[in-house]
Amino acid sequence: MRSYLGVVTILVSVLATGQALADDRVDYLRQVKPILTARCYACHGALQKKGGLRADTAAALREGGESGPAVVAGEIEESELLSRVTAPGSERMPPPSDGEALKANEIALLKRWVEQGADAPSDEKPEADPRDHWAFRAPVRPEVPPLSETAKTAILKGSVGNPIDAFLAVEWEKRGLKPQPRADKGLLLRRVYLDLIGVPPTDQEREAFEADQAPDAYEKVADRLLASKQYGERWGRHWMDVWRYSDWWGLGADLRNSQKHIWHWRDWIIESLNADKGYDQMVREMLAADELYPNDLDKLRATGFLARHYFKFNRNTWLEETVEHTGKAFLGLTLNCAKCHDHKYDPISQQDYYRFRAFFEPYQVRTDEVPGEVDFEKDGLPRVFDCNLEAPTYCFVRGNESQPIKDRPLKPGLPPLLALGELKIEPVSLPPEASLPGLRPFVLENHLRGADAKIVEAKAALEKAKAKLAEVERPSTTAPASDAGSQLAETLIHDDFASPQPDTWEMVSGQWRYQDGKLLQEHGDEMRYTLRSKRTPPSDFEATLRFTLTGGEPWRSVGLCFDVAGGREVLVYLSAYAGGPKLQLAYEQGAGYVYPPEGARGWNVRVGETYAMTVRVRGTLVNVAVNGEHALAYRLPFARNAGALTVITYAASAAFSGFELKSLPSGFTLVDAANGGPPGPSLVERAKAELALAEKSLAAASVQPDLIRARAAADRARSQQPPDTKAKELAIIAARREREAAVAKAEEDLTRAELALLKADAPHKEAERGKRDTAKTALATAKKALESPGEEYTPLRGSLKSVESNVETEASRTKPYPTTSTGRRSALASWITDRRHPLTARVAINHIWVRHFGKPLVPTIFDLGRKGTPPTHAALLDWLAVELVERQWSMKHLHRLIVTSEAYRRTSASTGADPATLTADPENRWYWRMNPVRMEAQVVRDSLLQLAGVLDPKMGGPPLPAAEEASPRRSLYFTHSHNEHQKFLNIFDDASVLECYRRSESIVPVQALALSNSRFSLTMAAKISTRLHDRLGNASDAEFARSAFLTILDIAPSPEEQAACEQTLADLTALLKTNGAADPVRRARNNLVQALLNHNDFITIR
Amino acid sequence: MMGDLDRDHPRGCRGSHRRAFLSDLGMGFTGLALGAMLHRDGVARASEGVWAPPDGFPHFPAKAKSVIWLFMNGGVSHLETFDHKPELNKYAGKSINETPYKGTQDPKKLSLARVVVVNDANGQQRNKLYPLQVGFKKYGQSGIEVSDWLPHLGGCVDDLAIVRSMYTTDDNHGAQTQFHSGRHMLDGEFPNLGAWIHYGLGSLNDNLPQYISMGSREYWNKKDGHYLGPAHDAVPVRVDPANPLDYGRPELEVAEAEQRLGFALVNRLDRIRAVEYPDDPALAARIKAYELAFRMQKSLPEVLDFRSETEETKRLYGLDNPVTQPCGMQMLAARRLVERGVRFVQIQDGAGGAGVWDAHGALRANHSQNCLRIDKPIAGLLQDLKRRGLLDETLVVFGTEFGRTPGTQGSDGRDHHIYGFSVWMAGGGIKGGTVHGATDEIGFHAEEHRHYVTDIHATIMHLLGLDSRKLEIPGRKRLDIDHGQPIREILA
Repeated sequence: MRSYLGVVTILVSVLATGQALADDRVDYLRQVKPILTARCYACHGALQKKGGLRADTAAALREGGESGPAVVAGEIEESELLSRVTAPGSERMPPPSDGEALKANEIALLKRWVEQGADAPSDEKPEADPRDHWAFRAPVRPEVPPLSETAKTAILKGSVGNPIDAFLAVEWEKRGLKPQPRADKGLLLRRVYLDLIGVPPTDQEREAFEADQAPDAYEKVADRLLASKQYGERWGRHWMDVWRYSDWWGLGADLRNSQKHIWHWRDWIIESLNADKGYDQMVREMLAADELYPNDLDKLRATGFLARHYFKFNRNTWLEETVEHTGKAFLGLTLNCAKCHDHKYDPISQQDYYRFRAFFEPYQVRTDEVPGEVDFEKDGLPRVFDCNLEAPTYCFVRGNESQPIKDRPLKPGLPPLLALGELKIEPVSLPPEASLPGLRPFVLENHLRGADAKIVEAKAALEKAKAKLAEVERPSTTAPASDAGSQLAETLIHDDFASPQPDTWEMVSGQWRYQDGKLLQEHGDEMRYTLRSKRTPPSDFEATLRFTLTGGEPWRSVGLCFDVAGGREVLVYLSAYAGGPKLQLAYEQGAGYVYPPEGARGWNVRVGETYAMTVRVRGTLVNVAVNGEHALAYRLPFARNAGALTVITYAASAAFSGFELKSLPSGFTLVDAANGGPPGPSLVERAKAELALAEKSLAAASVQPDLIRARAAADRARSQQPPDTKAKELAIIAARREREAAVAKAEEDLTRAELALLKADAPHKEAERGKRDTAKTALATAKKALESPGEEYTPLRGSLKSVESNVETEASRTKPYPTTSTGRRSALASWITDRRHPLTARVAINHIWVRHFGKPLVPTIFDLGRKGTPPTHAALLDWLAVELVERQWSMKHLHRLIVTSEAYRRTSASTGADPATLTADPENRWYWRMNPVRMEAQVVRDSLLQLAGVLDPKMGGPPLPAAEEASPRRSLYFTHSHNEHQKFLNIFDDASVLECYRRSESIVPVQALALSNSRFSLTMAAKISTRLHDRLGNASDAEFARSAFLTILDIAPSPEEQAACEQTLADLTALLKTNGAADPVRRARNNLVQALLNHNDFITIR
Repeated sequence: MMGDLDRDHPRGCRGSHRRAFLSDLGMGFTGLALGAMLHRDGVARASEGVWAPPDGFPHFPAKAKSVIWLFMNGGVSHLETFDHKPELNKYAGKSINETPYKGTQDPKKLSLARVVVVNDANGQQRNKLYPLQVGFKKYGQSGIEVSDWLPHLGGCVDDLAIVRSMYTTDDNHGAQTQFHSGRHMLDGEFPNLGAWIHYGLGSLNDNLPQYISMGSREYWNKKDGHYLGPAHDAVPVRVDPANPLDYGRPELEVAEAEQRLGFALVNRLDRIRAVEYPDDPALAARIKAYELAFRMQKSLPEVLDFRSETEETKRLYGLDNPVTQPCGMQMLAARRLVERGVRFVQIQDGAGGAGVWDAHGALRANHSQNCLRIDKPIAGLLQDLKRRGLLDETLVVFGTEFGRTPGTQGSDGRDHHIYGFSVWMAGGGIKGGTVHGATDEIGFHAEEHRHYVTDIHATIMHLLGLDSRKLEIPGRKRLDIDHGQPIREILA
């Protein structure tokens, strides 16, 4: 025996101060056993007997293990237990990897206990065998307990039909508890509506129910609600919590978690619930629809459960979460605890953990095409498939993925204690469409439709290009026909202002006069003066204005306006403004004057100087030269309208000495506005190149339909078993079509490159030339390939695999999908859904129960293992579990059973309760009353929409953006991911997508703020108020208050409540009158509604 | 010694049980948010021996009441701020292996990194040493060196305890979360420090939220409470008295008197109902929550309205300069919040990408500008707290997710660096003018008194009088490294 004398000595001296206490007897059961239970049993108990030692009885400690007795009564130094709890390093118990050392006072207790003789009761029982743990034994349907006559009559009021009530009543009888009576009819109706469909009843529904005296009035309501489509939405959201539904998230547009279009899985959940698909069947589809129904797109949606675990950056994390949440959600087992070491409480070894992981090892995620869409960004079906059939699974040392034990690959398997016979894993051979989704007929249709759309687009582009060329080739409208296409300009006006030319000019405003061979405008005040040309210029023109600036203040602007018509114009002017002289192009197109920064150029304009300003316009391109020097190129951002030409001054006086207007010949090169540098290609040249490109694009698009058909035909032939005799021939055709299409595409690319080269300005010419040459080479290569097309072609995939990690290459991403699946997950699914499985049905029942009663039967909702808390009503749980299985796992059957029980119908109030019951069970552990439950976030919001009468019944489809707070759709359709939450919902404890086996029910001030201040809530309140008004007509405050109470809370106000409401209405009306509000009565009533929405019992399911 | 293995093995169990089941023990039903509050009011009961949420009182006498947690998004270069390494200039342009410090490249030491993003372009080792981009000067009585980009903070150095020996393990910006929560991203999601403190300590002012967050948190750390529940998420606040928080005032026009009547009616009706449901803790809690909400909506705008501050004070925070004004407004708001008893004010500095300090390139331009933005405002905060006698009860913490590489990334940047970086603390219970721990001569590895990020958490908890182990939630396993060790050497 090794002993750490030194340590013990130190310990003893440390503890000497506590010596005074040492005389007290240590109580083994109360003081020692809890330490041993918490810190030692996991390795030295019923589950494991490490080192041959059990520590679960004092006798076992005395007996000891491989290193001798752990405890020797009265002998501290001989007791291995004491030396090991204080040992250094890895010798210490519990080992450092299992947590911290025992605390000094704990060690002191152990020591004193040993010193005092290590006494323990002689009848001490060892820890129970894990096999006997209640949840590891299959439930057997218990007898519904027989009740005494008193119970039947007094407690259940004769309603003994529901076994739930019998099981609960047994406990009351045992404890002398007396249950509360039924809830108020209105409150009960509200409860069952909110529980089953997630929105409150309408006034009509409530009134009808109140009036229905039939004995089965309530049952009829329950049946109707369970048949409603809204049931699937309400319970779908519950199961989305449990199954960790999340829309995709990442960083920006980069998908990192979950999958795009995962909402298909959400819709599958809702539809499955509405169809009352068996729970077992839902589990099977979620885990293995791809193996069980490989060609059923509707069922494949279910595998969203696994696709959601996708994590781009770390496959290990991805699979850890898969294992953890498969275990927790379906089995109520914390498998995850066995990742680094054997489970401390349950019979799950670390090997078992990795064997469980092996079920999932081969799976990956891909998106299959859906009818009508070829763009995977827009829609598609994310689903799983076994991708890497041979992917090995290793146990990781201490859970560390960088330390796999590679010499011992693990096969999929189950923890032996929970296995139900031999696990049969048979590889599944997949139908052709499963591994080659392109064979699905709609994929061919999708692609043909897409190709046709491209052809239509290309044709339209071609027409546009032709029209454009025609337009730029057309000569100036006013040019003589003989000049068409000529490079000569026609002079339209030539005036040196030596004398008046009344046929040419109209003086519109200002004082213009001719003097000394010049035309003067002498008013320099801050006004605009205009001289209009009587001749409308052609659309492409060149105009030159010569003038000397003589004064004015402060702008000193002189310029030319063109296209002047109906308040629209374009103005080019020189300004000698002292704050910054410049040349400026500005325009007015009906929305105020615009001075684009690109239309401005600083220019040294001075009074006393003479300027020649030339404006050349072609299409929307404007060039301005000053004194013969190119000064500005600007492209107008709008289509031009013909109009007049004017000369203007603004806060300027000037002497004009010349004006010339010419048509602008098509051959004249303008400077393009894009670069402002040296002249670009002429418009004609460019339009010709654009046209060439449009032609090539159309050619490339036109060959696509044939290619697509050829690929599809070849795919089909090849996939037949045995392959079609024509398979090779068809492949050769497809290959040829593909090469032809490649040539067409290469020609299109080359034409595009040539256009880019043509358009490039000097600094980019070289680069564009390089690209053009590359395109030339590519075309040559494509042509060469066409000479010997071979028989290789690209199949029509109809599917896209998600990258397996951020380092995956395109090549591996497009490798063919396997034609078989391992069958591992279907084997796992059949084990989980085996009727004999001890956990599955119990876990499901617990989930359903907690969402009706606000409290689970097994408090540790995802841990039914030995660390979990035992059920409060074990027999009831088992009865319900067996009932579920025997009723084909019908959840609607269970809901009906629950909501029609007396237990469910009781009031949640404790007024009038039996005092003894209140004292004995204040927390309602035994269901003598109903539990009030806080509405889930979605129910809060949906109820507001419902009461306001605006709830949109539309179901399913892509998620709504989280920012659309005002959307009338049900709240479960909002985008819901780790990164994106709908703000209002989040405040009311919306589900965490990482784990949400049960919602939190916090009560915080921001909830009060959201309900009282949000635009959403205020708007809904006003709408509810309006609806009440519309229904009530000319009602008094008293009537209004009473009706509002009923509508919102489904209960009539007490006289005290009624009085409070009326008083507030009166106060509010008075206040609003004083404030001068429009319609103070209406507004006061809106406020009343708003207050009732903030009532505790609005967001509470009573 | 006892915790060392845990420290080397941070991949802990993700706790097997959630707090949800506690709800059935008669506590926690209403969420833990108001647990402490109800407890103090005698509303909630806890049976003997049954777990109960904290009662809102410190576990032992506290040195500080409030925390101002300044977090620089993106990763501040320790080398250009608080950890002067002249050897970088001496060996500038040399590969580390050509210098006497090739030992820093020991693969064992480098294995500290736990990679989230495989083959990322960032988060790599950069081996060509990059010279310091700024000079350093000694400041104060203590003569501690601070970079020339931080002259005002230099002036406060006798109040600072600078820890130069921090390390973390996530070499990407998940380290932001890690700095706040103590756990690596791959381990799952854990409550952050502010959430723990909010959970552990009662309120000092029932008119204000006790955990407030300002600034940009666009990257990883969007939630705070995690398994403690959303009730312990920080309340995001904008320094805008007209619109300080979401739903902080009616989004459609409602007069204050009108709303007051409405609130009064809600209160009245809830109280009438409470007669029928006397044992419903949720109802009691909701009445309280509405009272708080109404007061909060009035108080917060007042706190964020700076009109009552003197011009001198505004200048102290740099409000008179457009460069320093945004940070200055947050600092002044922080002072006004802690002055009124807010427990935890968390300020994230710098939006954009992974954070404004993320100087993969152009480090000189980036850091000189960022230092200029924050230097005067933060120094102003320290001075203002001090002269008002608030520094003694307020802890100011300056942190960031990691430092930056001694080597150059590209031609003029530094990459993420997890092996050694600097953090400082000042205020209640802190020994000012202290330098604690050290990196090696080129600022690569924390060598002396190494501290993982949770040691900062432990130090803060200790000064607030909290024992983090007493705050544990049953079934939620926390490792020794999650609790951290208080850095006793920097305590006054």
